[in-house]
Order: sequence, then structure tokens, then C-alpha cells
Amino acid sequence: MKKIKVLIVLLLSCLFIIGCANQRILERIGLVTLVGYDVAEENKVTATSVIRQINPELQSKVEVQSETESTSKGTRVKVDMKTSKKLAAGQMRVLLFGEDLAKKGIEEAIHTTMMNNEISTSIYLAVVKGSSKSLLEYPYKDVTDVGQHIYNLIDHNIKQQHTVSSTLHEVVRDNYSEVRNFALPILHKKGEFIEIDGVAFFSHGKMVGSLPAGDNFYILMMQDNFKESTLELVLDGESIDASKFQEKQLQIAVDSVKTKRSIKVVDPELNEFDLNIDFKCRLLEINSLVPINDPKLVEKMEKAVNQKIENEVSRILEYSQEINSDIYGFGEQYRAHVRGGKLTDQKWREKFREMKVNINVDVEIIRNGVFE
Amino acid sequence: MKSALQISNDQKISSSLFFFVVTAAQIGVGIHGFQRVVVKNAGNDAWISVILASLFAHIVVFIMIRTLALYPSNDLYGIHLDIFGKYFGGILNFTYVLYCTFAFYSVIRNYIEVINTWVFPNLSQSFIAAALLILVIYAFTGGLRVLVGVCFFSFMTGLWILIILFMPLEYAHYNHILPILGNDLKSIFKGAYSMTFTIVGFEIINTLYPFAKEKKKVQKYVHLALLFTLFIYLSVILVSLVYFSEAQIERTLWATLTLFTVIKLPFIERVEIIIICFWMIIILPNLCLFSWAAYRGVKRFKSINETTFIWIFSIFIFFANIPIQTRTEIDQMNNFFAKIAFYIVFIYPFLLYIMASLKSVLRKGGSKE
Amino acid sequence: MFRGPKKNVTNTNEQQNKKEPDKVPIPPSQTEFLSKLKETIHSPADLVVKYISETVTITFLDFLIDGKTLNEQILPTLEKVINTSPKVIKESLLIAEVDLVAELNQGILEMLIGAVLIHVEGHSELVIAKISSYQSRGLSAPENESQVIGSQVGFNENIATNISLIRRYITNPNLCNEKFTVGKDTRTSLSVLYIDGIAAEEHVNTVRQRISDLDILDLLDSAVLSELIDDNSISMFPQFLLTERPDRFCDGLLSGKVGIVVNGSSMAILCPYSFIEFFQSREDQNLRWPIATFIRLLRFSAILISIFFTPIYVAALTFHYEVIPQPLLVPLSESRAIVPFPPIVEALVLELIIELLREAGARLPTKVGQTIGIVGGIVLGTAAVQAGITSNILIIIIALCALSSFTTPNYLMGNVIRILRFPVIILAGFWGFLGIMLAFCFIMIHLLRQSSLGAPYMAPIYPPRWKDWSDSFVRLPLPLIRRQSVNSRETHTIQNTNDSFAKEEKVIE
Repeated sequence: MKKIKVLIVLLLSCLFIIGCANQRILERIGLVTLVGYDVAEENKVTATSVIRQINPELQSKVEVQSETESTSKGTRVKVDMKTSKKLAAGQMRVLLFGEDLAKKGIEEAIHTTMMNNEISTSIYLAVVKGSSKSLLEYPYKDVTDVGQHIYNLIDHNIKQQHTVSSTLHEVVRDNYSEVRNFALPILHKKGEFIEIDGVAFFSHGKMVGSLPAGDNFYILMMQDNFKESTLELVLDGESIDASKFQEKQLQIAVDSVKTKRSIKVVDPELNEFDLNIDFKCRLLEINSLVPINDPKLVEKMEKAVNQKIENEVSRILEYSQEINSDIYGFGEQYRAHVRGGKLTDQKWREKFREMKVNINVDVEIIRNGVFE
Repeated sequence: MKSALQISNDQKISSSLFFFVVTAAQIGVGIHGFQRVVVKNAGNDAWISVILASLFAHIVVFIMIRTLALYPSNDLYGIHLDIFGKYFGGILNFTYVLYCTFAFYSVIRNYIEVINTWVFPNLSQSFIAAALLILVIYAFTGGLRVLVGVCFFSFMTGLWILIILFMPLEYAHYNHILPILGNDLKSIFKGAYSMTFTIVGFEIINTLYPFAKEKKKVQKYVHLALLFTLFIYLSVILVSLVYFSEAQIERTLWATLTLFTVIKLPFIERVEIIIICFWMIIILPNLCLFSWAAYRGVKRFKSINETTFIWIFSIFIFFANIPIQTRTEIDQMNNFFAKIAFYIVFIYPFLLYIMASLKSVLRKGGSKE
Repeated sequence: MFRGPKKNVTNTNEQQNKKEPDKVPIPPSQTEFLSKLKETIHSPADLVVKYISETVTITFLDFLIDGKTLNEQILPTLEKVINTSPKVIKESLLIAEVDLVAELNQGILEMLIGAVLIHVEGHSELVIAKISSYQSRGLSAPENESQVIGSQVGFNENIATNISLIRRYITNPNLCNEKFTVGKDTRTSLSVLYIDGIAAEEHVNTVRQRISDLDILDLLDSAVLSELIDDNSISMFPQFLLTERPDRFCDGLLSGKVGIVVNGSSMAILCPYSFIEFFQSREDQNLRWPIATFIRLLRFSAILISIFFTPIYVAALTFHYEVIPQPLLVPLSESRAIVPFPPIVEALVLELIIELLREAGARLPTKVGQTIGIVGGIVLGTAAVQAGITSNILIIIIALCALSSFTTPNYLMGNVIRILRFPVIILAGFWGFLGIMLAFCFIMIHLLRQSSLGAPYMAPIYPPRWKDWSDSFVRLPLPLIRRQSVNSRETHTIQNTNDSFAKEEKVIE
């Protein structure tokens, strides 16, 4: 009995003497859902935050605030002074970088974000063509919450494998890895809309190049095994039996069913790799005149698609070798399979530039819809 | 053998419970961030280090139980007194009590640090310490049965985390593990050595062994427990290796927790916050068992009431929390503890076994004459 | 106070007892006898004194005896035998229970239970004819533990009826019945029932001892008795089961528990009882096993929902906004937008309202109670949301919690589950998930510390008795279950039952 009394007294005294933890009641904080960083003069950064606030009258309101300071925390303090509610970054979902900043290097910003325990590692990163401030501050007609809009835009495109996956975790993983680089999707404001407009290649935290959105498919195909994503191809009309189909160009669309990608180190001495892509797809769209029930024709078409993909892949690979950004994992594979390679950052950069890749694409059309 | 323990039958615990006790004692705060130190030493072969460390633990456990089995019913403290006599044995007992106290302290300090970093940056340390200590006192005064019950429930309620653990594999790059044995053996052994802080805890059998109902079966269950913890450590390190890149692990303080941040469940996000709070129930057995082991030792010096002991002990720990504040200090403390634990848990049992078997041979010889 | 824990009260009482000599001889003279009798029982209005003849007098308390037997059996017999001794009267009376008593106080006690005292002039012995009749209500369906399938009869307030009900269920010579009288002022009779050979001897001994150690003034209900003799009276968890179902009671006896039936109380006690068993219903045995298993799992998850759902809401909204997924974020925060209180106050207010409604409903007559429930639930709820005092999402959560807490088959345990929520909400409001975990650990340790008649409370979960798990969280098909045996039943009988199952199976083959 006595013991329990002592316990209760102690517990209660703890309760009142030490007090309670810092409250962060949901509707009394401003939720930062998106932050965009831009370069400003004199080593300073401009941070633009999209803040969702709940007001009793307006139900919910989205505010865009931007401030310039030399550290990102400094900008947050400044923004805090302009908002009616305490800001909290725990619900942040997207981090944007202006193109100029990306070219200057985003390593510091990533490091700051990683250090903050409030922020999840599943947030998305992206580069903005132009400045993120102008992208965020524009009053879009159909978008009420620009933060959520951009998050959903990136999220569903990554899930559908229309663009490279760019969670903070993946970026950090590849950034600190010595043998791999990362890529981010590029966002672009086009009139009243925001669209994903390509892929930015990074090397050592700096943006070194970019490719248009049309190449996404091939990049993803080289990065990993993937499941969905649609490809539109323009084949040479001659690749198909000319007697039945006379036009010069044949446009088809295929949808990946199952794709297997594998990288093999053929010869570490000669710096030679095999890139095998086993592409099983289904036909979505084709000119109605083409008789797709003809096995020979299908085979021909497969070959043509093969050729086309091979060309594109080797073009993209050449480009990334030129800018020296290994976002595909050749280095990882090299390190995994070559013993005692002791691949350092510098060494791999040199090797990657000079490596030779044999691209083998094997396309197989396994389904063609319900109507021939 | 005047130091033998008198333990009545209803105080004893079933041997199968040793499985839960040892598992619960081993898994504590170390698992939050052991990847960092192991990977620093052993690179992508860290998982081999984990297996090696566990293998070594198996050997140590084997020796420990052999030593304890030389005596019909006695714990480490009694063995000390028997072999080394009252004074030197007393010093050894005191060292072991200090070790248990240190282990207790290290667990509670690390947990507070995690809470303060991840969940409540401003929550007073003394509050968390007081709350945890009250729980420990409440469990401790219930007796050994309750302590073992806490271990059992901690094991059973913690199993769901295992499912969550495999969810980050969505982002796995499996070729991170290759090439196997790419690092030299020395660094792999070094990695195994750095597992010490994480893997210790099984030394609880030193004090718990005499309380087993069927002593012959204890060994089986302790080894099973070690296998189970090996499975957990191995899963954690393998998932971490394929999920993170090497350099990233070396920079991540609590890799296991960072691992969880990426998980999004339909009804809840940021699982790591829940897991950290939930971890209280995982470290509770650690605290209970270490304080109990210390109590068994103190009892050899001075017959003291359980309640008095745990209150004094808790007040001591409560005030010991105040001086160590910064991250570096905690790191240093952990390293220091790991060093001590290595000698006490991994090296010393062999010495003790040799001494104990010598003594028993001598005794037999003596009785023959 | 009336239980007499205060020492001075019990002391004076003991002294009184001692002063009152146990044996008062019966005065042979009629007038003296009557005056002494009236003095002892303070000449109540319902005392009937009838002079049969010059020598024979009968006294009894009105309404306590069976008038028919008195008129048809006793009076005619007494008319016939004139000028005789009590012995002759005793032999000539054709009633089952007739006794001779040479001591006044004992005779008075019997009269208070419902006996007729027959005094014969010149003899210092009394004939007592026990023809007591109870005015008790008939058997009715158990109200608090209703079930869909199964018997629909409940205990009533009469110990004799209750024991007869039990004897009808268990026709077994080993069914032991030990009688005790408890309470100095009330002299409540109670019976300890167990089946010899199935119940563990140590449990029976413990119950015997605890009952005979009781030093109380009065005992009006079995619930009080159960609190007085359980292991930890301070804990909020009940350690003994109170049931009004004879089938559940007999089920307990057959699985080796000790039962106590108290006169005047329609609830019987079963002990030892473990935590898990409080969440099992007799009905589970009557349903097919997959359904019973599903319902049991539902009940166990209901406990968790009931205790932890509101605290999780409070914790998430007060401290851990990070864990709320994006699709939920906007509806949650918008529903909270005009609420002026922090979530903990909001939740506590609503929980209190629910408790008030429940209490009001329980105190009012059934029909009015239902109205109160509807009026309170709908009107108050809607009004509270519209007035902006609470958020509508919380209303749903609170309702869910309340609903879950009513799934517990045992009323006492259901109360515990409901009240337990309040401290957890407060802790969650102060320290978020950490507070919830503190509460969780505390409850866990508390449960581990409890025992019921010295047997572990958390059995069969801890200490783990794996074989009994087949009838704990789940209910497996009957042949796979050992006769429900948590904490009881001696080992040799278990083997017997297993054998009997084996035999049955052979017969089927």
C-alpha cells in the first residue's frame, strides 16, 4: 500500500514538475509541404515554402512564402516571422531545386535535409527548369494546393515508371556511393500547367546534363527491371513487308509487361560490359492495315523495335558517358563482380568514360489486345 | 560449497522460458545503429562479421553453461566465492555488479538519446529516466516471475516489427552484398568485435541458470535464442546492406531507424516514430534483467531487501544520467562499455572455466584421499 | 465502514459476543419462555404466538413460514397430542425437518430462518419444525449475460434454488457443498461448491481459509465477497468471475474451479479465473469453432481498440503530425479547425459524455434508458460538432471505442476496459506515443503481477502453457481442446479426459 502511494506521488510529481513535451497540435501549425531552393546572390539561397494552414474561416489555405538567407534554417526562421503559425516540416513531401542551384551543387541541401529527423527519407526531389520560386508562386487556375499537386504529379509518374525514381533515400544512397550517380526529374511550368520535362543527370551533387522526357523510357529500362510504362515508337516503314504497307513510317505503341535488365562484366581488363535487356511487351496501338496475325511480320516488327531500342539506348549511354554520370549501376556491378577492384571514385570516373558496352535487346511481343 | 543457493521449487522458471529471456536480453538499444560500426570495419561483408560474432557467442555460452554445470546450484557470484575465496572472489563479484550496472545505464542512456533525437527534442531527460525507472521498479518488486514475464511479453509483442523490417526491400540493390569476402579476414574479425555492444546480454544465464527447472534443457534453449537473435541481426544487416550504400551507412547514426522512415502504410506514415516509442517494451527486459543480475550480486555482500535495493539502484542511475549529455560523450561511453563487455563476456568465461574445472579436479582428488 | 475494518468496532462486537453466553437454557415455564423470547428478539410485530393448549405454545415469525404446512400438518398433530413431551411431538410430526433444541438462542436463530418453535410447559426443550418458505422471484433469463444460443436460465436470489439448479446440471456424487455463515449482523449463508477430484485441493483450501478468516459485520452480495477474498483488492482488475448463468458456473466447476453461491445474491463466484477467461463467453462453446474463433479474436482486438484508439488520436494530433498520411491530413485538420480545445480536452470531454450517458441509461428504467441513449447520442453528438466543440472524426472514434468496450462478455471486466482508457488518454495528451507506451508497459506489468487464488492471472499466455492456447485467443474444434483447464484441474484427470476422447473416436470408427 505504502509502496503504491509512493509510486503515485512520484509519478504525479514527475508529471507536474517536469512538465509535458512540446505540443505540435495539428491545426495550430503551418505544415510545410514543399520547399524549393534557388540560388541567390552572395552564396545565399532563396527558399520558397508551400505552407498549408488551417483557418477556421477559410477551411484550409495554402500560402507560398519565400526568403533569402545563407542557411536553409535561417530562411525558415525568416519565413516563421511572416506566418501566423509555427512551421513544421514533418509533412514535407517534395524538395525542388532551381536549375542554377542544381548546376552549382545540391549536396549541402541534401545533407541538411538528411540531418533533420523531422523529414522522412521518402520525400521526392526534383529539378525545376528556371527557378523554383517562379514555378511555385504562379497562381495556377486549376490547382488549389501547389504542394500537393506537385507531389501527386511526381508520385504517380514514378509509380507508373514514367520518370526516374528520386526519393531522398535513393538520392542520398547514390550520392554517397562512390560508383553511382543519381538523376532527378525536371519540372517545367508550361502555361497553366506543370509538367515533367525530362531527366537531369547529376555527378557529385552537381547537375551535369539533361535529356528530354521522351528518353525516360530508355533510361528506366537501363536502370532496373521494370513493369509498366508505355513506349511510342516510330519504325521505319521499310522494316515491314512493303507489299501490304506502303507508308514510310509506322507508328506503334507498346506497353511493357515484364522487362529484365542485366549488366554483366565481360572483361574487367578491357573494361567491357554486356547490357542485356529482355523486353516482353504487349502491343497497344498500330496502324489498322498491318496484319498482326502474321508471325513473320511480327518477327520482323520485333526486330525493328529491337534495332530502334538498341540505337536509342546506345545514344543515351554515350551521352551519359560523355557527361560522366553513371546512373545505371555499371559501377556497382563492376565492384560486385571484380574482386580486389578497390574501385575509388576517381578510378571509376575514368573507367566509366571509356567503358565499352555491348547492348543486346531482346524484344518479344507477347500480347496484342483483344481485336486484331 | 557453502555459497550454494537455496531455491524453492515455485521460484524456479521453466527452461523453455530461457529462450525468451535470452532473446529479450540480447536485443536492446544496440540494434538501432550497429550497422555503422560493423560496416566501417568489415564493409559489405558485415553480415559475415555478424555470423562470426554470433558463432563466438555460441561458444561462450557453451563454456558458460559447462562452468555453471560444474556446480549443482550456484550462480557466477557463488562460483567466484568458491574458487577465489571471500576477498578476491568478492572483488570479482563487485566488478560483475558494476558491469551489470554499467550495462543498465548504457541501455537507458542510449534510449533516452534516441527519444530526444527523433521524437521529443525538448522532453526532459530526467522525465524519461524517471518514467522508465518507475516501470523497472514496479516490475522488479514483482519478483523473478514478473521479470521473466516482461521478457516473454516483450518478445511476443515485438514480433510485428520483423514484418515491417522487410518492407524497405522495395529499394534494394542486391549487388551491394557482392563480392562476398571482398574484405580481408582481419577487418571482418574487427567487424565481429565491434558487434560486442549489440550482441551482449546472454551473460544473464550466469545468474539465472540456478533458477531453471530442468537444467539440462537450458543449453538447448539458450542456443536456440542465440540462433533467433542471429536471424534478427542478420536480417537487419542484410536489409541495411542492400538498402543503403556503404558510405551512407557509415554516415547514418541509427541505420535501423532510418531504414524505417521510408515505409508508408495506408493508415500510418513514419513508422519509425511509433517503433521508437514501442522500443520501450523491448528495452524494459534489458533493464529488468541487468538490475536483477546486479541485485543477485549485491545480495552476496549484504543481505538486502529487493525493494530497498531497486530504489537505491534507481536513484543512483537517475542521478548518473545527468553528467553525460552530448553525443560524443555517449559514443565514448558506448565504446568503453563495449571494450569492458568484450573482456567480461567473451574472454573471462574461458578463464573461469579453466579455474573451475581445475578446482573440481582438485576437490575430487582431495575427497579420494 | 460496515465491513468493520476499524478496530474498535470489531472489538466491541467481539465483546458483545462474548458477553452473550452461548447457552441460554430454555425456561420450562410458558410465560417466562415467552417473555425471554420477546426480550431477545425485541418483540417484533410479525411474531406470532399461538396457544394450542394449556401446555403447548407455538411461536413463529409470520411470512417466513409455509402457512399451508402449518395448518395442515402441525396444528392438527398438536391438537391430537395433549400433555406430552417434546420428544413425542417431534416423533409425531410428519415433517422432514424437525429437531429438538435445548438452547434458546439456537432456537431463535432457527426461527429467524423460518421455523416454528413448539414449547411444552415444564420442559426445557424446544421442538423446532423447519417449514420455512421463501418469497423469491421465479427463474428468469440472465439479463447481464445474455446469449443467443444456449440455456436461458439465470440464478435468482435464493441459495436453495441456485444449488438445485446446479445439481440439475451436474449429477455427480463428487459435487461437494460446504456451508459457511458469514457476517455477524446478517449471518448470510453461503455455499462453497467444487467437484472433488477435479478441483485442485489447494484452491479449495485457500477458499475455505479465506472465507473463514473473514471478519465482517455484514454481507449482502457476492460481489462484495469476491472483492474481500480475492488476491489483490487494490487492483482494478477483477480476479474472480461473477456470473448469473448456471451453465457457465457449472462449466467452471467441471473444469476444476471452485464456486461460491451466496444467499440473497443472484451472482455466483467462480475462482480462480484468469484474465483471458474473462473475455470468453459460454456461447463460444456452442458455436462452430471457426465462428467462435473469429468472435474471440474480434473481442480481443476490441479491447485494444477500446483502450488505445482514442489515445492514439490524441497523441497523433498533439505531437506526431508526421505519422498522419497525406490523404487523412486535410480532413483531420479541417474537422479540428474550429475546435478551441487541444485534442486531450476534446477527447476527455467526449469520453465523459459517453460515460454519463451510459450511467444515466443504467440507472433509469429500461424504456427511458433507451430514450436517453438515443437523445444523448444523436442530439448531443450532432450539437457538439455543430457548435464546434469537438471534431466529427473524434465522435466516430469515441463511438467506436465505446462500442468495443461493450463486447467484453463480463460486465465487471467491461467496466475496467472502459475506465482504463482515461489514464491512457491523459498520458497520451502529455507525452504522445511515449505516454501510450508507458501506460501499455504499466498495464502489462500490473497484469503480470496479479494472481487469482495464487494462480498466475495471465495464464495460459504467461507462464506459457502452449497446450491451453487451443482454447484461449482462439477456440479450436472440441476434440483438440483439453477440458478448459487454466490454472486448475489436477493432472491425472486430464489424462482421463484425453482417454475418453480417444475412446469416442474409436467408437465412431
